[in-house]
Amino acid sequence: MKVRLTVNGEDREVEVEPRRLLSDVLRHELDCQGVHLGCEHGVCGACTVIMDGVAVRSCLTLAPQAEGTTVLTTEGLGTPEHPSVVQRAFKTEHGLQCGFCTPGFVCAITAMLDDVDEMDDGELREALAGNICRCTGYANIVKAARRAAAERDESDSVIRQGGGCCGEQRGCCNG
Amino acid sequence: MAEAPKGLIGERIPRLEDDRLTTGRGRYLDDLTPVGTLHLRFVRSQRAHARLTAVVPGEYEPLPPEAIVITGKDVLGLGIQADARVVPKVIEPHQRYDDNRPTELDPAWQSSLQPALAHEVVRYVGEPIAAVLHPDPYVVEDAAEAVSVHYEDLEPVIDMRGALAADAPIVHEGWRDNVFIRRHRTYGDLKAARERGKHTVRITTRTNRQAGVPLENRGCLAMPDATGRGVVLWTSSQMPHLVRTYVSRALGIPENLLRVIAPEVGGGFGVKGHVFPDEVLVSELARRLQRPVKWTEDRVEHLLSSIHARDHAHRLEAFVDDDGRVHGIRAQIVVDAGAYSVFPWTAGSDSGMVPKVMIGPYDIQDVEFEDIAIATNKSPLGTYRGVGRPSATFSIERLMDTVAEQLGLDAVEVRRRNLITEFPYRAANGLLYDSGSYLDTLNKVSEELDWEVARATDQGGQRYRRGVGVSVFNEQTAHGTPDFEVRGTPIETGYQGMRVEINPDGTSVIFMGLQSHGQGLETTLAQVMASELGVLPSTVKVVHGDTGNSPYSVGTWGSRGAVLGGGAVARAARELRAKVLKIAAFRLDVAEDDLEIERGVVRVKKNPSQLRTIAQIAEIAIRRAAKMPPGLAPGLDALAYVDGPDRGTFSNACHGAQVVLDTWTGRVRIERYVVAEDCGTMLNPTIVEGQVQGGVAQGIGNALLEEFNYSDDGQPMSATFMDYLMPTATDVPALEIHHFDSPSPWTENGVKGMGEAGAIGPLAAVAAAVSHAVGAQLYETPMQMERVFAIQEGDVPEHLTWEYWHECPRLRGFWDDF
Ligand code: FES
Ligand code: FES
Repeated sequence: MKVRLTVNGEDREVEVEPRRLLSDVLRHELDCQGVHLGCEHGVCGACTVIMDGVAVRSCLTLAPQAEGTTVLTTEGLGTPEHPSVVQRAFKTEHGLQCGFCTPGFVCAITAMLDDVDEMDDGELREALAGNICRCTGYANIVKAARRAAAERDESDSVIRQGGGCCGEQRGCCNG
Repeated sequence: MAEAPKGLIGERIPRLEDDRLTTGRGRYLDDLTPVGTLHLRFVRSQRAHARLTAVVPGEYEPLPPEAIVITGKDVLGLGIQADARVVPKVIEPHQRYDDNRPTELDPAWQSSLQPALAHEVVRYVGEPIAAVLHPDPYVVEDAAEAVSVHYEDLEPVIDMRGALAADAPIVHEGWRDNVFIRRHRTYGDLKAARERGKHTVRITTRTNRQAGVPLENRGCLAMPDATGRGVVLWTSSQMPHLVRTYVSRALGIPENLLRVIAPEVGGGFGVKGHVFPDEVLVSELARRLQRPVKWTEDRVEHLLSSIHARDHAHRLEAFVDDDGRVHGIRAQIVVDAGAYSVFPWTAGSDSGMVPKVMIGPYDIQDVEFEDIAIATNKSPLGTYRGVGRPSATFSIERLMDTVAEQLGLDAVEVRRRNLITEFPYRAANGLLYDSGSYLDTLNKVSEELDWEVARATDQGGQRYRRGVGVSVFNEQTAHGTPDFEVRGTPIETGYQGMRVEINPDGTSVIFMGLQSHGQGLETTLAQVMASELGVLPSTVKVVHGDTGNSPYSVGTWGSRGAVLGGGAVARAARELRAKVLKIAAFRLDVAEDDLEIERGVVRVKKNPSQLRTIAQIAEIAIRRAAKMPPGLAPGLDALAYVDGPDRGTFSNACHGAQVVLDTWTGRVRIERYVVAEDCGTMLNPTIVEGQVQGGVAQGIGNALLEEFNYSDDGQPMSATFMDYLMPTATDVPALEIHHFDSPSPWTENGVKGMGEAGAIGPLAAVAAAVSHAVGAQLYETPMQMERVFAIQEGDVPEHLTWEYWHECPRLRGFWDDF
């Protein structure tokens, strides 16, 4: 079947079997190899991408479910020359080591960036607990999230770029 | 060799690798798929121990067209065999190759061939039985489903003590028992020690089976080369050159026809520091089929069949005097090494490490050890951050706490009375410690924890109780060739080589056979190079993990990259610097001593406007050689090798944990974690702290959460992240880190290795803290709620008793002999 979606700002169309995972389509058909797979059963968060402004696990999403959506991966958030505020913060705070979990964390944090200031440390760690990092011990990832939230400005908000939350339509968040 | 830190050494420069990794530009193994690739999927054993009576492709559902099925009989004899040779009983301080070269297979050793695909017998759940290939990565999974396997069950050996029973089924036909190797070592005079210490303290400890679990699974991709005879093999590995040597031997092709490349590696931790049968198989199939063949592991496969770790049972007996001074220790170490011996460490590596390091920071000269590596029908046990040391430290530190408790002394004070304070120090087993700050780190951590006050707090009666505990340890790192010579494993060397070159535009490159898999080696080595050469680190590129362009290397493991790799870079860069100065002196018509290099510019010291950039010098050396000083060869490259100190260099640390225990449930939360560590000169403190924090997080996972369980019939019970619990952001606190600095007199810049230390201390520190909170000693990891709760209620599991192990006749002899 055909699936049409917008990935990192570009309109794309792919021909896929219905059983194909969004993660595989992004990685292998759409050249977003920054989408990483650590478990393929929804626990590690490495495959997290931002779909219509919401962080989702692309390994738990079938490609057809992405029909008509806007998807952002870490490649779409910034480049080595122009990293996004979250990507920059990871570097400044030494929030990564092997870097395998990093794209997932970058997406997860980007999607929650507007709320980080309201969270205390416990809540922030709770919010990050859906992503596993085997290398860093998390302390610097927590710092990176804080720094990114402090340094962001309008242009860094992907929720706005991504076209806003779908709320009731998809029922995946509280609007 | 030690000298004061200089230039950029010790600077917190940001990591060079981060720009690509944060933006998704890093290319890991699974990101590579050449045109025409055949994807490989393994059919794996569902039985722990069985005879294979038939493997039938397409028995109940048809195989998809184009599918290829390879079974054990197609690749008979292909596999991994890692044997142990004779090991000298006492390691003399400078014992070298020609002193006592162990070449014979150890008579106590029993060999296992780990087949690339099982033939006739399977020995653990997850063992590969058939390889199915197909161009479509989805269809190949369907094809693998269509292969039926017929088994005839054999009795599995799952339980450690059961494996040693007189009537135990035997894992490998033809073996005399289920023991890979059993070794006995005595140092000093135990009888005299027993007389000096009139108290005998005994403990039994158990560190259960865990796994290293890098977030990127393993995988490999082989592509036939243009000659049709050779292969290029990409593999997610920490040791590409060893993969090349071993795989080329297994394939029977010349080593220069195999090029091995480790791309970006998403964490290794020792798990990827092996040569695996799948690397042999994928290379062989690419050659036979003349097509690229790729296999990437999924998480279940990784947890089932890569490499497990820990899985130790120890018993210790100490002779102690009234003051808490430990005069002698006897210990029996039993390790469940799983079904096969791993390459290149062998099945004896974990058990063998314990006698080497258990006494660690303590001045105890009379010791006796027996270590036994047993075979069971479980996944093979391999190396993981710390290798044997976390379990060894757990045991000796639990012993120190037990000594304190039984003699009514303070646990920190008991440690103080036993720690080594003078250096260099020759340990009973021949290891020579260079320098250290054992007492200082202990004092610092106990001060930070407000030890006396915290220990004296009345715990009675409340639901939530606090506990504090410490652990002290040292870690042998960057050990040189002599240390490997006497191990008897297929790793024989301990050096690192580095090739560096300057390009015509003045930028430079380091070619290393080491692998950068998260430890920040690209940055630290560029930092060393930049420091020595006088350029900016951002102008230095590091090319890693490609046997096609780097000097031979045994790979990245054992906390040796920064020490030996950094040492080799320093030496090679110095050679380049000397040549740059020679050329500049000639062009500027001054003496070399009158020049200095800074930020890529060579200047006359007294007249800074007189200068040449390194780019200008490089242009001369490489492209306009006619302008070279007479007699000096063109080119700007250098190669240097550095071997480690004979017995390595010794980092040390003290870890302190403060925990809160919920007495209603047994749940433990870590409230504070303090580290005082000493790795000599730090190249980049930010990276050091990151490594420590990451190591401690793994140690906390080991201490509280991670356990790989099997059912009684050998079925794995922890094969997904739902069951194998990894620490997340809510489990690991931010560390409080304090640095001490005892530079090694034996390494470049006084650097000591520190990659593993973080993971060594937490088991013991957390156990001490939990024991304090519970009011009873815990001797088993992980300390999950049920275990803690049981101890709190006074239920000591049978396997933590002395008698449980003593009932096994094969274990009793060691104690009866004395
Ligand atoms: S790969 Fe999707 S959650 Fe782990
Ligand atoms: S940086 Fe390696 S898994 Fe997070």
